[in-house]
Amino acid sequence: MNHKPYSGRLLAGLAAIVFAAVACGSTSAPAATSKGNITIAGFAFSEGSVLAELYGQALQHDGYKVTFKLNLGSREVVAPAIQSGQVDVYIGYAATDLEYYNKGAGEATGDPDATTSKLNSHLQSLGLVALKPSAAVDQNAFAVTKATQQKYSLAKLSDLQPVAGQLVLGAGPECPTRPYCLPGLMSSYGLHFKSFKALDTDGSLTRAAFKNGSIDVGLVFSSDGDLNSLGLVVLQDDKHLEAADNVVPILRSAVANDEAKKVLNGISAKLTTSDLVTLNSQVQIQHQDPDAVAKAWLEQHNYGS
Amino acid sequence: MATGLFLQAEEQPWILWDWLFTHLSRFTDAMQQHVELTFIAVAIALVISIPLGVGAHRWRSVRNPAYVVFGIFYTIPSIALFALLIPYTGLSITTAEIGLVGYSVLIILRNVVVGLDSVPPDVIDAANGMGYRPMARLMRVELPLALPAIFAGVRIATVTTIGLVTITAVIGLGGLGQLILQGLVDDFRTPLVVATALSVALALVADLLLAGMQRLAVPWSRGA
Repeated sequence: MNHKPYSGRLLAGLAAIVFAAVACGSTSAPAATSKGNITIAGFAFSEGSVLAELYGQALQHDGYKVTFKLNLGSREVVAPAIQSGQVDVYIGYAATDLEYYNKGAGEATGDPDATTSKLNSHLQSLGLVALKPSAAVDQNAFAVTKATQQKYSLAKLSDLQPVAGQLVLGAGPECPTRPYCLPGLMSSYGLHFKSFKALDTDGSLTRAAFKNGSIDVGLVFSSDGDLNSLGLVVLQDDKHLEAADNVVPILRSAVANDEAKKVLNGISAKLTTSDLVTLNSQVQIQHQDPDAVAKAWLEQHNYGS
Repeated sequence: MATGLFLQAEEQPWILWDWLFTHLSRFTDAMQQHVELTFIAVAIALVISIPLGVGAHRWRSVRNPAYVVFGIFYTIPSIALFALLIPYTGLSITTAEIGLVGYSVLIILRNVVVGLDSVPPDVIDAANGMGYRPMARLMRVELPLALPAIFAGVRIATVTTIGLVTITAVIGLGGLGQLILQGLVDDFRTPLVVATALSVALALVADLLLAGMQRLAVPWSRGA
């Protein structure tokens, strides 16, 4: 439904206008009245489409008329679009968006609320507002295999402290110099690994290394769709080393009324990182359509059709 | 999100036929958008290039600035261009076409000028001797003789634009580029392979059609 060419959308739009005009002419049922129009943008990767569909369909369910603008390249496209009112909402990530709007000033921390309020201080003058960050997060994370997790009964990164000396860490070649990686693991968690293997950042080399057992701990992204199928478990970042890339709706202040905020916050409150992993795997691995997996999630969470 | 293109290499087939057949409408819609974006871009570029090319052929004071302006335009990265345009023209077909037309004009314009420049001086003398006034001479002698070069420009511009349309995927258009992008981002071969093949086929068919039109319009020239 979101992949019609613009002419199809134009026709659909015209049809909707004609229909609305006819509906207004006749004394229509009050249920048909819309709470307003909202255009929601999605970034061009599967999680971007899934998130836009989740929040957008929830707004539709609440009675808004929602237009989806999916598969937009990046913030370089989405930021001017929302500032000029082409788009009303997009679903961003607290730390990444903060570092975009503050031009890489390095203000993002591991605390999602503090990061979001910093983000809001930069958004205010642009006529934008970021809502409450969700617990769902797509950020750098360290994973182990299920076997390793059970062997050492690991749940969070600090659990690694007594056993790190027996384990090999794998990540991108930049890891030994980046604060979020090896130096941070040493200073924040006191982890001193047996050795470090330079692989790739969350790529196929890391996965192959997990598979053949040449690493025990590896850098991934917390919402990767293939974590479950590869039998990987993300260890909780209990000391907040990683910048808080929690999912956060960003909208124009002009459309941020209580009603819209309530709907968007409702989704943020229910969405979890493990939901994101599942939704991403449905789209990326099972090749289901983002609108369909979002609809199914909403139905599970009592946004009946 | 940057998961294993290599790891999956043995497991993932080049084309998942089930998925393809349930998503055929995405491919036909994308093809249609691709053709429309290309056609509009080349048509507008041609409308701009012919009068501009005639002016550039006559007057050096038009030629150099026109080449410089469109030459500089050609060097602007598309994403930067779109980011600049979005506040004014939005995430619209207009934004996409401003980029695509600009890139096509440089190609067609140069060919119009080259075509007009290559009309032999004695032909022009003969036309003058037969009493053609400048406008009639342009329309009935010079432009027809420049047609093979102009057609060559249109063919290059069309094939180039069919490739370039994919860059408009960043503003949510892009025709087949949308599916190619999805294939790359998700490591999903089916849309990547099928959309790429369709894009190549589209370029070949368009070039053949234009070659056929050229034979009809300029029967005295063969080849090129």
